[in-house]
Amino acid sequence: MLVNQGTQAEAEMSSATSPSKKQNRTNSSNVRPLVNDTASGSHYSPPWITPYIIGVGGTSGSGKTSVAAKIVSSINTPWTVLISLDNFYKPLSAEDHSKAFRNEYDFDEPKALDMDLAYECLLALKEGKKVTMPVYSFVHHNRVPDKNICIYGASVVVFEGIYALYEERMSSLMDLKIYVDADLDICLARRLSRDIISRGRDLESCITQWERFVKPNAEKFVKPTMKNADVIFPSISDNSIATKMLIGHIKSKLQQKSQDHIEYLVELGHKSLPLDNLETIHQLEQTNQVASLKTMVLDRSLDRDGFVFYFDRIATILVSKALDWIPASKCSRPVITSYGHELENAIDVNFDKVTAINIVRSGDCFMTSLRKAIPNISIGKLLIQSDSQTGEPQLHCELLPNNIDSGFEQVLLMDAQIISGAAIIMAIQVLIDHGVELSKIKVIVYLATETGIRRIINAFQNRIVIYAGEIVSEKAMADGKCNWARVRFIDSRYFGCD
Amino acid sequence: MASLEPFKNVHLLNQSNQLLGLYTIIRDKNTKRPDFIFYADRIIRLLVEEGLNHLPVMPTTVETHTMQKFEGVSFLGKICGVSIIRAGESMEQGLRDCCRSVRIGKILIQRDEETALPKLFYEKLPQDIADRYVFLLDPMLATGGSAIMATEVLIKRGVKPERISFLNLICCEEGIEAYRARFPDIRIITGAIDKGLDENKYLVPGLGDFGDRYYCI
Repeated sequence: MLVNQGTQAEAEMSSATSPSKKQNRTNSSNVRPLVNDTASGSHYSPPWITPYIIGVGGTSGSGKTSVAAKIVSSINTPWTVLISLDNFYKPLSAEDHSKAFRNEYDFDEPKALDMDLAYECLLALKEGKKVTMPVYSFVHHNRVPDKNICIYGASVVVFEGIYALYEERMSSLMDLKIYVDADLDICLARRLSRDIISRGRDLESCITQWERFVKPNAEKFVKPTMKNADVIFPSISDNSIATKMLIGHIKSKLQQKSQDHIEYLVELGHKSLPLDNLETIHQLEQTNQVASLKTMVLDRSLDRDGFVFYFDRIATILVSKALDWIPASKCSRPVITSYGHELENAIDVNFDKVTAINIVRSGDCFMTSLRKAIPNISIGKLLIQSDSQTGEPQLHCELLPNNIDSGFEQVLLMDAQIISGAAIIMAIQVLIDHGVELSKIKVIVYLATETGIRRIINAFQNRIVIYAGEIVSEKAMADGKCNWARVRFIDSRYFGCD
Repeated sequence: MASLEPFKNVHLLNQSNQLLGLYTIIRDKNTKRPDFIFYADRIIRLLVEEGLNHLPVMPTTVETHTMQKFEGVSFLGKICGVSIIRAGESMEQGLRDCCRSVRIGKILIQRDEETALPKLFYEKLPQDIADRYVFLLDPMLATGGSAIMATEVLIKRGVKPERISFLNLICCEEGIEAYRARFPDIRIITGAIDKGLDENKYLVPGLGDFGDRYYCI
């Protein structure tokens, strides 16, 4: 994938388009589709909600795997994920297990697959949730213990398998259904060369398996799924024209999706309501100290020593402000002062229940101030960058505390600057997808534009609390007096590299 | 401190009682996060100080307040830090504490679970990094996969290998060998060399996932 091409997703969004991308990432955890319902309170739908799902079916040996691989490589973005239905083979009983090793188990009929689980996974993907899938081993004829594929944030899913188009409930989730068609004698020839050469099987057992299981099932169950397809794809030696047409179609669909996303984000900023009266928006009071710190941060002649020092100062004030109304409870035990007096109204505040999620790298400017406020604060990270051509924000990487859904009362989302608001909106959605309640999220930003703040308010129905050092009004931006709020400069100066 | 034989260019901190005590605390799984952070920070500080000891200096004469001339030295050249996100970022503060407002670049590498190979996600480095001495920050050197990839990024940007110091808290022979095979001229500064790797490629005895212990658990 491209590195360093995108800028942090905050440049103003242009209206040009390019294919939408979203990324899959993998790590192991328990087998279950996870995360509770995300819909509540969020109007925003990132590219991984309603990803574009492509189903690729066809008989064994028809060449569907290579068609699927071709699609994935032509789309050529890390936000595309290829899922094989093979991962959903049911774990075998001891009896079936020995049958399998004698090549007497029928892997080619639909009931060999756990279609319920496959459906659940596909549905969860369609809803943009984080999904964990099993991994199946053909060597052991069983699910690989402690190994899973974990997918989150994919905007294109290619779902491939002989029975990909078998069930109505699954194909109804697909945006494009492709059946790869080949004559059965070609399929047999391909299977033979694959099984004998690549998998070291002997000719006789291959033929037996073909005649006993593969061919009858293909005729009985697989072929009829052709009628569920949108496209029947010829599996012949030169299908380059068909491939080209198919890819062209998919790309234009993805482009549309990307454009809709950008337009939606732009649209979010347009609805107007006065920010001053909103209880969710907190701006630092412009005291003399705050105003002079701002002056220094904006002064280009201030050296980097000074910049880091004074940014840390204003950031500490802001973080401390945001922690003012941290949940507290009455102390359950009496608190006795050193001269033996009992304290009235003793309050317990659990600072361990606060975590900060930094948007890389701009949010990292708050690291020092966060650790001054809470020395051992839990830290998570999100890397969101905008596409270099379209400005569409893209989620590249998320490193969140494992217990983010339940372990914290406050989740502080840190960003030094908000310009378009696109990155922060996406970041909030990522937290929601990971089970964080909206009421626990606080955005902490030093410098924000009114448009960016409006987009957050509108995307989440004014349910996100925002602490800002300063919000630059739309009028001031329009007058051209505050161009410094249009560019990301804080993290560049803080870390000393652009 | 002498280079550690048989590992050329590997500088192991003096295994003093103090240092061994600090390591015992951070390796103990019962150590809670506040203590883990505090004692890891102490070790990091020692590593940074050791790294600075290896930077070249040039003779400088200063005048003291008694108007006498003093023949001293000053650092030659500029430095910067490059941390590997996320665990390496834990070492930034230690570097900042020694070198005020030092420039810090960042590199994000994640293991692709399908291929088990490290993959570069993000890099942001000082523009003039080719002219600088670079402290590469990553607390654990196990197989060396991500450190090697990060170092390749640095070399591609024109940093001279002999100007790179790779600072880590714990490494092992496999990691050192893999890294040195690619970059024989890069200095490795470490506080502990562990026995090796287990079947999951984790350091033995190691201390668990440094990033999780420092930032999350």
